[in-house]
Amino acid sequence: MAVGSGVAPLRPVALPKFRSSSEATVLGILGIVLFVGLWELAAQLGWLNPVILSSPSRIAVAFAGQWQSGQFSADLGVSLAELAIGFGSSAVAGVAIGIAMGLNRTTEYALDPFVWFLYSTPLVALYPLIVVWLGFGFATVIAIAFMLTVIPIVVNTMAGVRAVDPSVVRAVRVFGGNSRDVILKAVLPASLPYVLAGFRIGLSRALIGVVLGEMFSSNAGLGFRMTVYAAHLKTADVFVPLVAFVIIGIITTQLAIMLERRLQSWKT
Amino acid sequence: MRFSRRLVIGTASVAAFLMVWQFVGQREIVRSDLISYPTEVFATFAHLTATGELGTNAAVTLQEFIEGFVPSIVLGVIFGVVLALVKPVRELLDPLLTAIYTAPVIAFIPILVVWFGVGTYSKVVIVFISAIFPIMINTRVGVSEVAEPWLRAVRSFGADQLQIVTKAILPGSMPAIMAGIRLGLGRAIVGLIAAEMYVSISGIGRMIQVYSSAARAAEIIVLVVVIAVFGYVCVTLLRGAENRMGTWRSDLE
Repeated sequence: MAVGSGVAPLRPVALPKFRSSSEATVLGILGIVLFVGLWELAAQLGWLNPVILSSPSRIAVAFAGQWQSGQFSADLGVSLAELAIGFGSSAVAGVAIGIAMGLNRTTEYALDPFVWFLYSTPLVALYPLIVVWLGFGFATVIAIAFMLTVIPIVVNTMAGVRAVDPSVVRAVRVFGGNSRDVILKAVLPASLPYVLAGFRIGLSRALIGVVLGEMFSSNAGLGFRMTVYAAHLKTADVFVPLVAFVIIGIITTQLAIMLERRLQSWKT
Repeated sequence: MRFSRRLVIGTASVAAFLMVWQFVGQREIVRSDLISYPTEVFATFAHLTATGELGTNAAVTLQEFIEGFVPSIVLGVIFGVVLALVKPVRELLDPLLTAIYTAPVIAFIPILVVWFGVGTYSKVVIVFISAIFPIMINTRVGVSEVAEPWLRAVRSFGADQLQIVTKAILPGSMPAIMAGIRLGLGRAIVGLIAAEMYVSISGIGRMIQVYSSAARAAEIIVLVVVIAVFGYVCVTLLRGAENRMGTWRSDLE
């Protein structure tokens, strides 16, 4: 481990393949269908208590209800906006801080203890203090998502900058480039695979931040709605935002992996 | 030389941060009930320890953590090996498991409380499901990347299935398994604290929730630091175990 005192960067290699063959695709879909089918069957036959465990058909009915009342799309909109702003601001700040720490040892040594602390702390525990500052809701959720997301992006960007070939930097210098040229023409392109790997892990952490923020300190969004339904023991309704979060998680992760793959194939 | 420079600058910057914090907090430049200040945090730590409040609740949280984490390691490694070695099982379950792995597991907290109640049981379960997926997926990736020559060598010496697993596959995939355990550890701690904060009877998360409704910054900061230190100790122990296994592994090679 080349950087930091305790935080390992995510390596931009060996991305897991989602599917390998058409046979695997068929079996994979079969696996999901079997799971849903067994759950439904167990509920229909009365093996499971529907109030506690719900069932796929009940969840579908609950989804239709939330969709028609406009509740679902309103919650989804809030959550996605928080995710986008939380992740976007972390990406900008994380890359900037990561480059500063990567280029300058003193900056790295000075910030490293704080990076480590933020990385290993369950930041959601600080939400009461953030609520006092930013109020209940949107801004607080974004702040929690930001704190969770920015650190892996910083760590990975720094690792990427360290991985830059010094001879490329020298070449830019030799041709009369200034510091700005060095960053834009040599450092950023070369560290991009690491930065993108940081974005991938950052995206999943941003989503965790949104879920946590909404569960504890919000009055809107999918996470908030989940806690309301759970408090009323409306199990089927709890599953609707939960499944939405699962699907958002899959889509964002797959998008990030696709982006990384495209970049890797373009490089070679 | 380099190490000492890191140490000096790091210590200096932490010291500077603590001094500014002390000044800003104590002089009430910012309301000290919102940010507290280091000496108050330290006094609060001493107080919470002396009354036994911290110890009692930390014991509850630690017990929930161990009861969830240990089974997640054992079952995560077993399932990971099975997934890697048995192709039909892997292909049947891969999309389902990947879906749960990429999902924010903490979103399951409300439903788990409905299922398992407000007591410690729902926390043990959240620790378990937070940790088992990274361990399982990493084990599966690690096992399928164990070098073929190793397997051939063990087989050619007449090893049976069990010996292949214990002598070649497990040692070969140990770095990936340890990486999975580290990842699972972080997720388990966040999940556990969040679940205790969501609803519980005792534990560190419960304390955070109680003091947050009283807007007690000092207590909250003490608790957050305690959790961070716990995470650090666990990671250090894992690293130590990993290094010892590393030497054992190189013997094997």
